[in-house]
Amino acid sequence: MSNRREFLKSIAVAAASVGVAGRFTYDVLAQAVAGRRQISIGGKRIKVIDAHAHLSVPAVGAVVKGTPFERNGNAAPNQVIGPERIKAMDALGIDMAVLTQQGAWWYGVPDRELARAVVKTMNEGTAAVVKQYPDRFVGMAAFPMQFPDLAAEALEDGVKRLGLKGGGISAGFLADKEFSAPEFDVFWAKAQELGALLFMHPGGDTGAEAHLRGKGNLGNTVGNPLETTIFLSHLIYDGTLDKFPGVKICCAHAGGFLPSYMGRTDGACVRQPDACSGKKRPVDDYFKTQIMADSMIFREDGLRHMIAEMGVGQVVYGTDMPFPWPVNPDTILNNTLITDAQKEAILGGNLIKLLKLSAT
Amino acid sequence: MKNRREFFKTVAGAAAGAYIAGRGVPALAQRGQGGGRGGARGGGAAAPRGPRKQISIGGKRVTVIDVHSHCTVDGVAEVVKGTPFERQAGGRALGTDRIDLIDSEGIDIQVLTINGYWWWEIPDRALADRVVRAQNEGLAKWVSDHKDRFVALSSISLQFPDLAAQQLDYGVKQLGLRGATIGGHVNGESLSDPKFDPFWAKANELGVIVFMHPGGADNIVKDTAWKARGDIGNIIGNPLETTYFLSRLIFDGTFDKFPNLKVCGAHGGGYLPSYFQRTEVACDVRGNAMCANKKHPREYLKSNIMADTMVLTDEGLRHLVAEMGVSQVVYGTDNPLNWPVPVEMIVNHSTLTNDEKIQILSGNLMKLLKITTPATA
Repeated sequence: MSNRREFLKSIAVAAASVGVAGRFTYDVLAQAVAGRRQISIGGKRIKVIDAHAHLSVPAVGAVVKGTPFERNGNAAPNQVIGPERIKAMDALGIDMAVLTQQGAWWYGVPDRELARAVVKTMNEGTAAVVKQYPDRFVGMAAFPMQFPDLAAEALEDGVKRLGLKGGGISAGFLADKEFSAPEFDVFWAKAQELGALLFMHPGGDTGAEAHLRGKGNLGNTVGNPLETTIFLSHLIYDGTLDKFPGVKICCAHAGGFLPSYMGRTDGACVRQPDACSGKKRPVDDYFKTQIMADSMIFREDGLRHMIAEMGVGQVVYGTDMPFPWPVNPDTILNNTLITDAQKEAILGGNLIKLLKLSAT
Repeated sequence: MKNRREFFKTVAGAAAGAYIAGRGVPALAQRGQGGGRGGARGGGAAAPRGPRKQISIGGKRVTVIDVHSHCTVDGVAEVVKGTPFERQAGGRALGTDRIDLIDSEGIDIQVLTINGYWWWEIPDRALADRVVRAQNEGLAKWVSDHKDRFVALSSISLQFPDLAAQQLDYGVKQLGLRGATIGGHVNGESLSDPKFDPFWAKANELGVIVFMHPGGADNIVKDTAWKARGDIGNIIGNPLETTYFLSRLIFDGTFDKFPNLKVCGAHGGGYLPSYFQRTEVACDVRGNAMCANKKHPREYLKSNIMADTMVLTDEGLRHLVAEMGVSQVVYGTDNPLNWPVPVEMIVNHSTLTNDEKIQILSGNLMKLLKITTPATA
């Protein structure tokens, strides 16, 4: 609970302190310019798609009222989708965003029916936003990983009944269970069967929170990529990605540390063969096929490095909206180390193909 | 205790043999004549003696210095005999097999450090001091017996920061040691805590390198999280501990207080240099970042922070150099552990210039370690 509280608290803090926090702010919401920016590369208009955008569904509040999760149901105002979000997207030149529920607090709901009701409300709320702005959003389904069969069901319901494009997942670390444990196979099998993209976003639960306090907001700067790194490492080393080769997972924040620091993962196999007995392929193979990452690397050489390690087809533009990070599309457009074709693939081309979206 | 057990277990695991997987293949294949890697590296069987490998770049012999190696010295056993620390004294004694190893790998000069850092748990100041004294005198003796091939860094009793400063001063001035080695924390405390300032002030004053080697992030992540395939307590834990350690030194303002510090993080400096963007913008975008650093984080990365080359891939090394600047990157092997770290990874690198390769292999360290004689053998 402390983790989820921290997460929500940091959302509140981030929302409150935009413009006063830093020496320089990257406030996406405050960068509004008149009208909708249209982005072109080499004279050709391209569709810009943001893989990493947060939303909250206020209707969840009523579902958890009177339960221990009542406070989690309070939707963060800057994550409720409405004209403000559209304005922010217009200002940056984002044509479409992939909306995901984050925080994964509902993984802690012990009651099966309550968990089912929470994600149903979330997913119907997400679908309603998509219906309201069909040109601007697609949505990802939430599901309760503490009940793997129910998670599979919720993902299927989200995709088939509600038209969502996939699902959002957190590491969760449920009572020290990793999602590579066989009990979660029913979920991975369903994701594979549906061909649904999963967007993984850390939920603030690494087991390390107590030590990541202090200056530098380390719970976020270190904790978020750490959670993603642990999550992916289990799926790789335990052979989950081999068992379910059709599973595709796009990881937030440039995929955590692994895409930028991949050598040690296979280095482990040189040092200790037994440690790697559960995986079948060299580590980069997973990153070139099943693991994707958003572009939240900010630095020029960082993005070049990710493309070199993963292949450009695995990297997709992401902003973390509504949080303030330096993620203006110009950070991709102005990168001097990558080609126009790579920029186009990252800014929209890859997701147009993968999610079968209209190119215009 | 758990961590030390893990540490030594790891040593045993490494001795079990070399395995060729994925991207490690070309790297390991180049080690051919080193032979006997498994056995020799575990400290047991003797490696077959071979000729000393000599490295040249552009037709010119270059000195190769390895910043990252592990050892123990025999004299410590006597000091801790009959104490709760008795069992932790040895494990990697230096002998002719080490010389054979560095000969076969083309390493001219190896920087020796003792870690595991179990002595930081010694609450008795006098005992702690005796342990460090034994370590440092043992290192100095070995170095003195093999002058052309080794230098060493001082152990320090960092649980007593004033004593640590004295030990470093003595080690450098009296024993000829070239700097200090530390872990990412002392008994869970961040080294950016002002109580450790006496040590940092001394390193700052002496202008010596501080080599930081992690111990599996036991200060950050509970042990149970690491019970999994992939040896992730090492594979993730080590770079994590280094990332956290360097983050604290940056954000807590330690580098501002002691601007001459040169802190070299093992294993490519952990995740931080390769995944720098989040650190770089934290003070700007995170409302609760409370940053105490006076300069942009990038400036510490390009001056105070150094890293060894253990990112283990050609592209990873290119990226590391692009992010830090070539002056901050130095060759490291983790000897005698079994990693794919051949000198050829630098010598045959696909994008680095010859000048850059030479800087990484020895140029940067010769200055910092005050090594004046290039290898001639």
